[in-house]
Amino acid sequence: MLEVKNLHKSFDKNEVLRGVDFKVEKGEVIAVLGSSGSGKTTLLRCISFLEKSDQGEIIFDDFRKEITKVTNKEIRGLRMKMGFVFQGYHLFRNKTALENVMIGQTVARKIPSTEAKATALQMLEKVGMLNRANYYPDQLSGGQQQRVAIARAMATNPEVILFDEPTSALDPELTGEVLDVMKKLAKEGTTMVVVTHEMGFAQEVANHVVYMEGGIVVEEGTSKEIFTNPKDERTRRFLRRTLSDYDYSI
Amino acid sequence: MSERVLQILIQAFPKILIPCIKVTIPLTICSFILGLILALFLAIVQIANIRGLKQFARFYIWIFRGTPLLVQLFIVFFGLPSLGIMLDAFPSAVIAFSLNLAAYNAEVIRSAILAVPAGQTEAALMVGLSYPQLMAKIVLPQAGRIAFPPLFNSLIGLTKDTSLASSITLIEMFSVAQQVAARYYEPFALYCEAAVIYLLICTLLTWLQATVEKKLTWVKPVETEEENAQNITD
Ligand SMILES: Nc1ncnc2c1ncn2[C@@H]1O[C@H](COP(=O)(O)OP(=O)(O)OP(=O)(O)O)[C@@H](O)[C@H]1O
Ligand SMILES: [Mg+2]
Repeated sequence: MLEVKNLHKSFDKNEVLRGVDFKVEKGEVIAVLGSSGSGKTTLLRCISFLEKSDQGEIIFDDFRKEITKVTNKEIRGLRMKMGFVFQGYHLFRNKTALENVMIGQTVARKIPSTEAKATALQMLEKVGMLNRANYYPDQLSGGQQQRVAIARAMATNPEVILFDEPTSALDPELTGEVLDVMKKLAKEGTTMVVVTHEMGFAQEVANHVVYMEGGIVVEEGTSKEIFTNPKDERTRRFLRRTLSDYDYSI
Repeated sequence: MSERVLQILIQAFPKILIPCIKVTIPLTICSFILGLILALFLAIVQIANIRGLKQFARFYIWIFRGTPLLVQLFIVFFGLPSLGIMLDAFPSAVIAFSLNLAAYNAEVIRSAILAVPAGQTEAALMVGLSYPQLMAKIVLPQAGRIAFPPLFNSLIGLTKDTSLASSITLIEMFSVAQQVAARYYEPFALYCEAAVIYLLICTLLTWLQATVEKKLTWVKPVETEEENAQNITD
């Protein structure tokens, strides 16, 4: 459904993505793992055109083009089919939770406001934020803000939602409430790409796992393959390190 | 204070107040609004990085911040006629003040726009908003809140700067005070009176600023203490 091929991206002389191939099928939950600085965020940002890529090809349904040649109009069309959940939530501070969830429908897609509101309320209910619909972001906790941000990303009915470490800015107690919402979405068949350091989530919820290091995809496979029988030495080293942290933290 | 001086002050009060209401205040409002529109334009072309216009904006700001307001007034009123452009004192003053103010307020607005977290712009793009839509709905409302106090600052500054227009023959509040002071030989008392009227206007503006600022927050009013406590705990 969504695919990038041979994606390259440098910041000045720093080559951050060195030919990444990445593919998402409908209904899949993909966890993207990798140590800090391996290019996970940059990958999501290049796919969503928040960052200009240097080279590569993008394929989204029947759209296929050299990624550097995609026009602004086409970018907007592709974004209409994506959702993005940021590490820092980035809710619109001048809008209530409900308005945050509605605006992609009413303003960007010109859906009548009664219809948009019904959808938005449904999404807020799904993330357990219905009782805070009229609150402004400043009046919500981090976990609550992130749940509203997830509702915002879902409200436009995207084909895929990209999550960039959605819980890493949260206190451990608040992490759970966000992960629970994401598990629920995964069960409902939402297509998700999740960059995460939450090994438990990756193991339990993802059906496909991608391990990145040094700007390339080192290994990928089903969650079971990667966690029980990693082939690449680098993947093994990463899992040994992080899983032991993970065990300690429980 | 002698009886005579008091009498003069009382008599002079309406004389000074009338040009204040008829000229100083309209001059301030016209110049401020025009200057604000131009400032918004100058700020947005810089932020949106529109080639040509961005360089023009930098050049414009360089010129109008780098030369004295009084000189700008003189160029418009006394200088332009030699190029065949004759303007009355009032429009000349509006032009000079608004052009000057735009240069300063463009910087205020530009920095306010930059102060809105870039993450919100990215989030807006990702829900499908176009650049003009996200500017209008997300960025400018928040930038407006940030720019409000410094913009009010410049409005208060402008209110007093309009007195400079007396030097290009405009009959405004200060020039009338000058006439009255000359007629009665009481410059101290009458200039103080004029100063007090400026002070009153600016006091009113300060109060207005505080009142509006209180309303410009994005917080749902919490009705009861109980509800408040609940908001904090859960
Ligand atoms: N805007 C930028 N300008 C310059 N360098 C950048 C920029 N964004 C990222 N980088 C560099 O790109 C590299 C990869 O960054 P990226 O954020 O993609 O890593 P990551 O895998 O998401 O790491 P983390 O797990 O810490 O979030 C880093 O070396 C970083 O310094
Ligand atoms: Mg990252």
